[in-house]
Amino acid sequence: MAVKTKDLRISPLGRVEGDLDLNVVVEDGVVVDAQAEASMFRGFEIILKGKDPQAGLIVTPRICGICGGSHLYKAAYALDTAWQTELPPNATLIRNIAQACETLQSIPRWFYALFAIDLVNKNYAKAKEYDEAVRRFAPFVGTSYEPGVTWSGKPVEVYAMFGGQWPHSSFMIPGGVMCGPTLSEITRSIAILDWWADAWLEKQWLGCSIDRWLENKTWQDVLDWANENESQYNSDCGFFIRYAQEIGLDKLGQGAGAFLATGTFFDPELYARPTIDGRNDALITRSGVYDGSGYHDFDHMRVSEDHTHSFFKGSGSLHPWDGVTDPIDPADGHKQGKYSWAKSPRYNVNGKGYIPLEAGPLARQVVAGRPGAADHQDHDPLFLDAIQTVGPSVLVRVMGRMHEAAKYMKLVKGWLNDVNLHEKFYIKPAELADGRGFGSTEAARGSLSDWIVLKDGKIENYQVVTPTAWNIGPMDGKDVHGPMEQAFIGATIEDMSDPVEMGHVARSFDSCLVCTVHAYDRKTGKEMAQFRIGDIC
Amino acid sequence: MASLLWFQGGACSGNTMSFLNAEEPSACDLVTDFGIDILWHPSLGMELGEQAQKIFWDCAKGERPLDIFVFEGTVIMGPENTGRFQMFADRPMKDWVIDLCNQASIVVAIGDCACWGGIPATAPNPTDSVGLQYLKKAKGGFLGDGWTSKAGLPVINIPGCPAHPDWVTQILVAVASGRTGDIALDELQRPQTFFKSFTQTGCTRVQFFEYKQSTMEFGQGTRTGCLFYEFGCRGPVTRSPCNRILWNRQSSKTRAGMPCTGCTEPEFPFFDLAPGTVFKTQKISGSVPKEVPVGTDHVTYMAHAAAARIAAPEWSKEDMFVV
Repeated sequence: MAVKTKDLRISPLGRVEGDLDLNVVVEDGVVVDAQAEASMFRGFEIILKGKDPQAGLIVTPRICGICGGSHLYKAAYALDTAWQTELPPNATLIRNIAQACETLQSIPRWFYALFAIDLVNKNYAKAKEYDEAVRRFAPFVGTSYEPGVTWSGKPVEVYAMFGGQWPHSSFMIPGGVMCGPTLSEITRSIAILDWWADAWLEKQWLGCSIDRWLENKTWQDVLDWANENESQYNSDCGFFIRYAQEIGLDKLGQGAGAFLATGTFFDPELYARPTIDGRNDALITRSGVYDGSGYHDFDHMRVSEDHTHSFFKGSGSLHPWDGVTDPIDPADGHKQGKYSWAKSPRYNVNGKGYIPLEAGPLARQVVAGRPGAADHQDHDPLFLDAIQTVGPSVLVRVMGRMHEAAKYMKLVKGWLNDVNLHEKFYIKPAELADGRGFGSTEAARGSLSDWIVLKDGKIENYQVVTPTAWNIGPMDGKDVHGPMEQAFIGATIEDMSDPVEMGHVARSFDSCLVCTVHAYDRKTGKEMAQFRIGDIC
Repeated sequence: MASLLWFQGGACSGNTMSFLNAEEPSACDLVTDFGIDILWHPSLGMELGEQAQKIFWDCAKGERPLDIFVFEGTVIMGPENTGRFQMFADRPMKDWVIDLCNQASIVVAIGDCACWGGIPATAPNPTDSVGLQYLKKAKGGFLGDGWTSKAGLPVINIPGCPAHPDWVTQILVAVASGRTGDIALDELQRPQTFFKSFTQTGCTRVQFFEYKQSTMEFGQGTRTGCLFYEFGCRGPVTRSPCNRILWNRQSSKTRAGMPCTGCTEPEFPFFDLAPGTVFKTQKISGSVPKEVPVGTDHVTYMAHAAAARIAAPEWSKEDMFVV
């Protein structure tokens, strides 16, 4: 949340959130440098070495309690590919349902608890509808905040129906899922989701039916929709679109303009034998790379993680199967020009080399606009149109995420209908002693992947690449900044004492960490402003 | 009114996320109905203005009363006891933790990491993580054995990976409504009211346990049987109310067919996740569980098991949780 910080520069509490510090250097009103510093290390990849092959199912969800179900989902597929399992269709369906329900929970929780509280910041007090924003979105007491946050627990009740609990179940295992649901798990899930879709998604958020919303195919459709009738105009979504434009969120936060989706949700028939090569074609929400002008197929072998500016020994860039996690004291790292615990994932695009890519809901929706989808795959032109007509912005990014609530709701209902309670949910796999695997999904915040190497019945190497690393990772070995850093550089600040623009830019990245932006004046080296960006993964 | 400050050490935010699933009271109710004054939380809507920063230091210096200090995540000691693997507000987080613990009336550790070190402290514990008053089973941890808060209490441990939201909210309500005196702690400093019972207490599979009838495979196989014999379920040897106070108001891991991993106990993750230990019961000579239910021994257990199998009715060998 943006605050006036005149006094903060002398405060010893210059960095009140430890997780992510974004240091921005400003010269004559223009941002000339930016460094994103993830300031906490836990060493999960080190812990996993030498452990039981299935240890990742227990350990990786604990990397992030917010996307724990997504961690489980891709960890299970990493093992499925390594052990060459067979998955019964029901297992694929239950995994899809659980993954989607985690994201459905995240959408309102993120919007109200983490994003919209910024909309009541006193910087916007002059806005025409500021009082209305406060009435709706004020923390804990806002008329929309309270139901939005409290009811966000409903979709994960469905997760608990199959996984026992959310967060931190480990019920997805190679060969399927642990549960053998009965009729009432399915019917109660349908009832809970219907209740939530009615109470929050349709009544509070949209002010219309899911189907009406999904008729929007262009950005202009969305703008027209917001003024179509009183119900849509007064909905949280209608209000947000209007208010965001009034306070300028449609103009800021363009980002790198190149996007990555590794895709998620599998067609049960097409991924009965999960393989790395067969993954793209079996996806429902597609994978792909959009480099600003055209699309490319996703190929995990083109991913590389650079640690030149990360607090790990040495420098260089490695494919995650060969990845190394060898931490050093950050005090020593700073002397070597290193500044973050995040590594810098890069993707090799033909003709462009290894470049940074933005991950997240907008990336997913841009990839969804790629022509040539198979019958089982999602094709959705709305956000490709948005970035081609108005370009990426905070508003477009937020809407990309909120749009998925309607889409995922329909998908989950369909999968619940497809579960055949009289068929299997698990096929016991052979536990191969050696192998390599790749598993990936789309967490609410973007592409999340595991690379596993098994040797002699143990984990030889385990590397996790998170959406946050894609978005907020530091510079690579060629000193090319990560997407979030790039978005800052060149930004103009109107009022040096109140650089609200930086808050906008940072906020548009839905990073995995609570993020604090520190602005330093190049001439004096003094910290002149500080923002808290209320994003967590 | 009770003031509350919530910090995260080596944490995944899972306890915060679990907390946000709460109803009766919800996170909002705690603020609006029970007068919990959340001074600051890393991800919940609190403005980070000069005022909040002042509160921080005021609390750390003892100039402003801090009723409840909630800590989620491990205390990171590495590298080499500098704490620099987690910097927070230009200091190692561990330095904040000691200041705030010493000023708070009550200190609450939420989740395994804060209680015992949890997953980050699993061998080889690359960050030298510890819990507030334990490292795994060993007393001491960061604050030391014998440490007490201003109210004269040791750290209140609310373990679990994550902790159930009700375990957290009910303790907060107890404190806010003047019932701190009713919070009796067990020998691991966990509130007895939650952690006297076993995870197995209330499990829907308990009849299968009684007759020693095992689940034989995951998925459709979990429509019958108990997960203790083959799949490493720790329900009979773990203290928690997971099957008394259901998760997400709906279910529990063991009900849904997932073996309990013992995540409210200091040793979680058990056996340091060594090869062959994940979702597999550890056995002596291929058949007898290495660990038997609390309070029994192998000879008694085997005698009981033999009798139970003879007594097992036909229905205990069939599917119970059917379509």
